[in-house]
Amino acid sequence: MSLLEVHDIHTFYGKIHALKGISIKVEQGQIVTLIGSNGAGKSTTLNTICGITPAAEGKILLDGQDITRVPAHQIVTRGVIQSPEGRKIFMRLTVRENLEMGAFTRNDKAEIARDMDFVFTRLPRLKERIWQLGGTLSGGEQQMLAIGRALMARPRILLLDEPSMGLAPLLVEEIFNIIKGINEQGVTILLVEQNALMALEIANQGYVLQSGEVKLADDADKLLDNDEVRKLYLGEV
Amino acid sequence: MVRRLLVVFVLLLIAALGVTAYAQDAAPSVTVTADGQVVIGLAAALSGEGLAPFGEDIQRGAELALEDRPTVTVGGIEFPVSLDPQDDQCSAEGGQAIANRFVSDASVVAIVGPMCSSACRAAAPILDEAGYSSVSPSCTAPDLSTSEFSSFNRAVVSDAFQGRVAAQFIFDVLGLTSIATIHDGSAYGEGLVNVVTASFEALGGSVVAADAVNVGDTDFRGLLEDIVAAEPELIYFGGFAAEGARLVQQLKNDVDGGEIVFMGADGIKGGEFPGLAGADAEGVYTSSSIPSDANKEAVDALLARYTEKYGIEPTGPFQVNSYDATNMILDAIEAVGVVTDGTLTVDRAALSEYLRSIEGFEGLTGTLNCDGTGECSAADIGIDIYAADGSLSTVAVGSPGDDNSIVVTASEG
Amino acid sequence: MASTASQPATTSGGDGVSLAQRIIKLLRNPLQVAGLVIVIFLVWTIIQNLTGLAAAGRPLSVERIIRVIIFGLAQGSIYALIALGYTLVYGILSMINFAHSEVFMSGAYIGFFAIHWAEQSGLLYSNTALALLITVTVGMAAAVTIAVLLERIAYRPLRGAPRLVPLITAIGASIALQQIFLRLFGSATRVYPEVNFYVLPQLFRLECETIDGAEICKGMDLINGRYDVQLLGMELQLRPIFFVVFFLAVLMMAILWYIVRRTKIGKAMRAVAEDRKTASLMGINVDRVIVSTFILGAALAGAAGVLFALYNTQVSPFMGFTPGIKAFTAAVIGGIGNIPGAMFGGLFLGVTESLAPTLLGMSSQLEDVIVFGLLILVLIFRPTGIFGEVLSEKKA
Ligand SMILES: Nc1ncnc2c1ncn2[C@@H]1O[C@H](COP(=O)(O)OP(=O)(O)OP(=O)(O)O)[C@@H](O)[C@H]1O
Ligand SMILES: [Mg+2]
Repeated sequence: MSLLEVHDIHTFYGKIHALKGISIKVEQGQIVTLIGSNGAGKSTTLNTICGITPAAEGKILLDGQDITRVPAHQIVTRGVIQSPEGRKIFMRLTVRENLEMGAFTRNDKAEIARDMDFVFTRLPRLKERIWQLGGTLSGGEQQMLAIGRALMARPRILLLDEPSMGLAPLLVEEIFNIIKGINEQGVTILLVEQNALMALEIANQGYVLQSGEVKLADDADKLLDNDEVRKLYLGEV
Repeated sequence: MVRRLLVVFVLLLIAALGVTAYAQDAAPSVTVTADGQVVIGLAAALSGEGLAPFGEDIQRGAELALEDRPTVTVGGIEFPVSLDPQDDQCSAEGGQAIANRFVSDASVVAIVGPMCSSACRAAAPILDEAGYSSVSPSCTAPDLSTSEFSSFNRAVVSDAFQGRVAAQFIFDVLGLTSIATIHDGSAYGEGLVNVVTASFEALGGSVVAADAVNVGDTDFRGLLEDIVAAEPELIYFGGFAAEGARLVQQLKNDVDGGEIVFMGADGIKGGEFPGLAGADAEGVYTSSSIPSDANKEAVDALLARYTEKYGIEPTGPFQVNSYDATNMILDAIEAVGVVTDGTLTVDRAALSEYLRSIEGFEGLTGTLNCDGTGECSAADIGIDIYAADGSLSTVAVGSPGDDNSIVVTASEG
Repeated sequence: MASTASQPATTSGGDGVSLAQRIIKLLRNPLQVAGLVIVIFLVWTIIQNLTGLAAAGRPLSVERIIRVIIFGLAQGSIYALIALGYTLVYGILSMINFAHSEVFMSGAYIGFFAIHWAEQSGLLYSNTALALLITVTVGMAAAVTIAVLLERIAYRPLRGAPRLVPLITAIGASIALQQIFLRLFGSATRVYPEVNFYVLPQLFRLECETIDGAEICKGMDLINGRYDVQLLGMELQLRPIFFVVFFLAVLMMAILWYIVRRTKIGKAMRAVAEDRKTASLMGINVDRVIVSTFILGAALAGAAGVLFALYNTQVSPFMGFTPGIKAFTAAVIGGIGNIPGAMFGGLFLGVTESLAPTLLGMSSQLEDVIVFGLLILVLIFRPTGIFGEVLSEKKA
C-alpha cells in the first residue's frame, strides 16, 4: 500500500474544471515530483489533497484511510502538510512564531523544541534571524522558513509547491540539497516544480500534468530521457 | 452589480415620487364607509433612550381616551375609531418621515402628536401641504405657533409661557440673580432656554454661562467644570430625563457643584427622572402645565385607570394632554363630519378650521380655547421640587395675569 | 490585527530628505494644506481663549485642566476597550462589526440584572467585592454570548460574500439587537444602584467612627467616593472611580496584549488575520480562531459596559450607539486593525473630547464636531490612522 494514493480526482473552481481525473501514487520514503506548464493543475492537486479545494469526485487515501472529505485544518494532524506556492510565510510574525505555527496542531512542548533545533541545524540561516519578522527576510530565507515551518508539523508527507520559484541559481541548488536532506531523514515528499530538470534529478517518480490531466507518469530517470519531456519541459530543442 | 443597484435606486425614486404625487392630490376629504373605521394617527417617540416612556405615555393617554369614546357618532351612525401609532423618534427626521407616512395614507383623519418640538416643526409643513391637522399633546416650543403652520395645534402650554414663569420664579421666589443655561439641542430644549434667558435678563438677572449637550452623550463633566467656573447660582436645563439626570449626578458628584441649584421643565418632570438621578434628584426644580384644580378628581381617576390598565405608574405629565388632544379631534370629527348613504365624509379643511377655533373645550387639563394660531391651552404652570425619595411637591404656581403679565405665587409651607 | 508599530521601510521620506523638501511635499497636497490651516486655526483659537479668560480674570486653572483630563481618561478607557473589539474583528475579517456597540450594551444591560439581584439579596452590601465580580462576570458572559451568536448567525454564512454584504448585515444586526432588548426588557432606562466599595481601611483613614474609644475606618470608597487630594501643591477633588476605570482598562488591555503576542491562540489569530488559507494549511481551525477573536473583543466590551454603567448608572437598549460610534472613530484614528492603535485612539479621543471644549472655549455641543473633525484631520495626514501601516496590496 502506498503512503498516499490519489484516485481520479476532479476539482472545480466554480465552473472551471481544473482537475479532470488525476491519479497519483506516492510510496513511503520517496520523492515524487509533479511537473507541467503554468495552469496545468499542479497547485490545485496539492490543495485538493490538503482539503483547501475539496475534490468533487475521486478519492484520496493516506495509508489506506480516506481523507477526501477531511477539512483542511485536520489534514495536518493526519501527517500531511504543505509549503504553499509563493512561500506564504506570515510576514508579521517572527521567524520563531512562524515555526510555531507549523507546530500548531502539536502539544508536545519538549518535542517541538527538539524539532525546532533540528530545523535550525538544517537551516542555520534561520537561527540567526529568529526574532526577525518574516516580512524582513530575503526571498531565499523566506523559502527556508516556509520549509522549516512545514517540517515543524513532523509530517509523514511534505507537499512542496515550487520551492525554487524566484531564487538565484545558487540558492536553488541549496534548496534542492535541503529537500534531499529532509528526504534522507525519512520524510516522504511530493514536490511540484517548474524546474523540471532538477526536480526529476532528485525524484524517484515523476508525473507530467497538462490541462488538469496526467499526461505521463514514470520513473524520474526515465522521464529525464523521454524526448517529449526533454523538448517541452527541459527546454531542449 | 452597480448598474443593477442603480436601476433599483431609480425605480425606488420613481416610486417615492409617485407616492408623493399621489399624496399631494389626495382627496381633500376623508371618507369612511359604514363598516370602516375612523383612523387617527399618533406620532410619538416609541424608541430612544429616556424618550420612549414619554411616547408610550402619550400613546396610552390616547388609548384611554378611545376606551372612553370608542366611536364617533355622526348623523346617528356610530363609526368605530382606531389609533395608528407611529414612532416620531423625537427628531426632525422622524417627524418628517412620519408626516410623509400619514399624508400618504388617505384614511388617516387627523394626528395626535408629534411628541417633540423638533418633530412637530419638521412634520408641520408636510401636513400643511396635504391639508391634514394635528394636535400635539407635548410640543411646547414657542415658535411653533408663530410660524403660520395651518396643521399645527397643541393641547399644551407654550414654553413662551412656561419659560417666563420659570425665569420669574428663579428671580422673584428663589431670589437668585445669576444663572447658567444648558440645553440639549432639541427644538424644545433650545426654545425653552431662549425664553428663560430673555425673560431672566429682562427681569435684571444675568446668564453667566450658556452651553449645550448632545443627546446620547454621557460625559458632561468637562462642560460642568466650565459652568461651575463661571459661578452661577442655578443651572437651568432645557431637555429630557436621560441627559438631565446625568447632568445632575455629575454636577453633584464629579465637579464642585453641590451648591448650585438645578432646574428643568416638563422634560424632566416625573416618570424616569427621579429614578435615573437617584438621590441626586433631591432639590431639583421642574415645571409643567397643570390641570386646573377643578378637574383634579377626574385627572386622578384617569391616572388610576392608567396604572391599573398598564401595570405601571404613568411617566410624564403628558398623558392627560394626550387624552385631551384625542378628544378634541373626536369632537371635531363629530362636528364637521357628514354622512351620506351611510358613508362618513370629513372635509379636511373644515376639520382644520374647527380645530383652530375651538372655544370652551372642557378638557382634563382645563378649558381649552384655540386662538387661531394653534395655541389652545392656557393652563397654569406649576413648579415642583423633588424630594429625596423622588416625590414632587408644588412650590409655586404661575398664571397669566393682566396685560400679558405673569403672576407667580409661591405655595405656602 | 497588525502587530507591532515597527514597519518595514515602506514609508517614504527617509533621513536623506531635508525639512524644506518635506514642507514642499506637504504643501503640494491641497488637502494637507487645508488640514494645516485648520490646525493653525485651532492653536490660534486656544491661545485666544486662554488669553481671553485670563484677561477676564478667570484664567483656566491647572487644577481644572487636570480634572478634565482625568474625566477624559476614564471615558477614553471605555472607548478604548470597545475600540479593541472593532479593531480585532476588522483585523481578522476586514469587516466592521457595527453590532459591537450592542455587544457593549448587552454587557451593561445584563450586568444590571446581576447587580440588581445582588442589591436585592443584600450581597452588594455584605460582600461588595464578590457582588461586583459577579456583575462584571455576568456582563462579560452576556456580551460574549451575544457576540458568538452574531458571528454564528449573521456573519459566518456571509464569509465569502462581497465586503458590503456583511457590513450591511452588521448594521441590521445592530438594530435587531436594540429591538430585541427593547421588546424583552422594555424601553425604560434602568439604573445601577449606588455602590460603596470601601478598600484598605488601614491605609486610607477615611469615614472613621469612634466606637468604644477605638477608631474604626471604612477606608476609601472606590466607586462613589470623592476626596480632596493634595498634589504638587494643588487642591484636587477627585473620584477614585475614574482611576479604577483607567487602571482596569489598562490591565485588561495588557492581558489582551499578552494573549495576542504570547499565547498560541493569539499567534494563530495574527496568522489568520494575515492569511486565512495558509493558516488552515498549518492546521489552524480558522472558524475557531475567528470566534475566539469575537469572544476576546466581546469580553472587553462587556467589562467596559459594566464599568461604564457603574459610574454613569443609566442603561438602556440604546445606550451603545454613541459610545459605539466614538469607539469606532477611535479605532480608525488609531489605525483600524491595529491593537495599540485602538488603545491609543480611545484614550486620545476621550481626552480630546473632554478637554477641547474647555481649551477652545466652545460649546460642548460641538464636542462631536471636534471628534469627527479630529478624525478627518488624522485621516488627511495619515490615511491609515496614527498607528496604521501602509496597507499591502494584498489587503487593500
Ligand atoms: N482560485 C481560482 N479560481 C479560478 N480558477 C483557478 C483558481 N486557481 C487556479 N485556477 C485555474 O485552475 C487551473 C489550474 O491552476 P493551478 O494553480 O493548479 O496551476 P499550476 O499548475 O499550479 O500552475 P503554475 O505553474 O502557474 O503554478 C488554471 O487554469 C487556473 O487558471
Ligand atoms: Mg501552481
